[in-house]
Amino acid sequence: MKCNFCEHRCDLTKGKSFCGMYRDEGGSAVEVYPDRWCTYSASRVESVPFYHAWPGSRSMIIGTAGCNFRCKYCSNAFIACRNPADVQDVMVEFPAEKLVAMAKKLGCHNIIFNVNEPAVSLPSLMRVKEYAEKEDIPMGCLTNGYTTEESTLMLADIFSFVHVGLKGFTNKFYREYVGIHNIDPILRNIYTLSQHCHVEIASPVIENVNDHELVDIAEFICDIDPDIPWHVFRLLPEHDMKEFKYPNIERINQVLEASRKFLPYIYFHNFVGSNWVNTLCPECGAVVIKRFSLGCSGDRLDEFLAPGNICSNCGTQIAMLGTKVAWNEKRKKEGV
Amino acid sequence: MSLAIIDARQWQNRFDLESGRKQDDDHPVVDMVSKVLSWNHYPGDMDDRANQWVSRTALDLIDRYEPNLVCLSFVQQFFANRHFDYPPDVRDKMFFTVMEDAFKFIAISGYTPVIIGTGGLVPLKGEMNLSGLDGLAVSSNWSARYCGIHWPSLADMDLLESLKHLGQIERIVSKAEWIQFVKAEQPDLKIHQDIALMPDFLAVAQQGFAFKTVGTTLRKPVNIPENNFKVPVYTPLGKIDDLRQVKHLVRSNLEHHKIALILVEGVGKHFFPDNSFMCSNGPGWFCNEPGDAFYLTLSTGKHDPFAYPAGYRSFDQDAETIKFPFSGYMTSIPENTLALDYSGKSIAVGNRSMFMHMMFGVDISIECFARNLFNQGCMAVVHNRDKKGKGDER
Repeated sequence: MKCNFCEHRCDLTKGKSFCGMYRDEGGSAVEVYPDRWCTYSASRVESVPFYHAWPGSRSMIIGTAGCNFRCKYCSNAFIACRNPADVQDVMVEFPAEKLVAMAKKLGCHNIIFNVNEPAVSLPSLMRVKEYAEKEDIPMGCLTNGYTTEESTLMLADIFSFVHVGLKGFTNKFYREYVGIHNIDPILRNIYTLSQHCHVEIASPVIENVNDHELVDIAEFICDIDPDIPWHVFRLLPEHDMKEFKYPNIERINQVLEASRKFLPYIYFHNFVGSNWVNTLCPECGAVVIKRFSLGCSGDRLDEFLAPGNICSNCGTQIAMLGTKVAWNEKRKKEGV
Repeated sequence: MSLAIIDARQWQNRFDLESGRKQDDDHPVVDMVSKVLSWNHYPGDMDDRANQWVSRTALDLIDRYEPNLVCLSFVQQFFANRHFDYPPDVRDKMFFTVMEDAFKFIAISGYTPVIIGTGGLVPLKGEMNLSGLDGLAVSSNWSARYCGIHWPSLADMDLLESLKHLGQIERIVSKAEWIQFVKAEQPDLKIHQDIALMPDFLAVAQQGFAFKTVGTTLRKPVNIPENNFKVPVYTPLGKIDDLRQVKHLVRSNLEHHKIALILVEGVGKHFFPDNSFMCSNGPGWFCNEPGDAFYLTLSTGKHDPFAYPAGYRSFDQDAETIKFPFSGYMTSIPENTLALDYSGKSIAVGNRSMFMHMMFGVDISIECFARNLFNQGCMAVVHNRDKKGKGDER
């Protein structure tokens, strides 16, 4: 019996899935640890980072355990790359209804799954979606995109905004640094997701390893939709890559400059104080959204200068899911 | 105006500290600090060389700025022992090494030391998971002893009482009692934060227990601070009984001494020299955990648990009005800190992230910029660039 949630398509009759989160029960893949979450906290949507979905909003960040990738630079390896059985003592159990109630208690506008890979917990997330929908709480996630065609559609059903990690552009990179052999399903799924929901893409850049692939990635994104925002992350050397050097910021940005001509929403960050986190109008170049970059998981909105998602300078529409949401909007609605 | 210089390795940027907007400034002191930053890359919170980075950076600043007052914090051993379980001999070596690092700094610099430990650690006995309350429990990454309870139901209060009977919670204090308790000793204490966002009740854990709530870390702690009602101090400048006397001790001796105030986090009496002494770290049942309240107590001479109250619903603050984007949860520069109105030169260096520049009121600070143990780089803040030392006046 094969698991159909991700492209590993693990044979569950031989035991648990690669991610350690699914097992066989009567011929179906079922979750080993349903409704168990490693975190629930309020954060800024920009910190995830989503730059073109509900700017300024308060998000409840959630995650589970386990992953179907083994990225050598994983920042969350202590929870994502360990056997889920070994980290159950840090998890909290929330049935879907209670998790959504917690999002309301925290005054959150949306719920975002971003610690590990959502494909390892899709049935739990499907249940959360049912309650979130009733409460008018949109859901978003970060995914590595290595899902089957069927589960990609499940992702698109659960999440109205999705951030896909496109970590390189060759099988060689994915083989050496991620642990999978074929990039094709990821490219396929980016296209599928872009047809169903809001998509942003992130690519970590490792100097002398995948920096020569940046233009190819930009062209690939542009061919799907030039309005897709692309976040280029400076590698934060962590996990098995602690000894790698930090990529040269000026040099990487020079490479990106050429791509900005055809892909207008390119951001270069994941380091404190970046100059390249503002949104510029693709038509006239005016700054329409200002942000602070406080490094990995720390970005925040400074000023939203495009009321109605329209550039105040030239009237061009800025690609956006939803529009600016005041941080305390939910609280104000509740009269708190 | 205070200037922040961010160093992300091979690359720097300058910002107005308050607004976070880019700011050019080519004052010689600013350029000097930039150079010191670029020479000293922070190796990371878990790296064995993290404390030596503090000493080396401070010595580089001393060579070029000649301050009379130096404030340092050494924290690597606290981060490491909080998250990982080391064999006793390795752990002890870590604590002895940080004390050696502190005394080595004193020997090289020639400054008169005031070395303060934040107190020892104990193994985590258990976590109290308060995620399922009808109300909302809020603790923080670095707090173990204190947890805020918002909007509790009767069932929630029953649950807390049951944890008290189990010997895991020491006491449950209402907001009014808590404020009254601190104000009884310090009637003029101001509460700068929004009282409405303070918890309705403060739950206080028994030693060895910690809370699991919104705001606590993904990483389960291995060791947590003891209830350090007294903490060790080493200084030849004279004995003090209370952490609140540190400010006066330092300021009153600065005329005749160059002083290094050194905090060693997670370090208890056992690792201090025999001729050190203990001083009080909080009134009554309240003791400061390593963190903002501890630093502010010795820097301002007052206990200020309300500078950032335990269990505070900071996520309900109006984000649009918050300034100081590079200063963590701090929303204003604290008043009456150690060096804020000191006319001599002062610096601070530490591996307490996004912290040192707010806590001591020094002219120049350099600190690591880390989040959740991830190393983002370093930040320097130049609060005051126009002071002249004795040599400069000649």
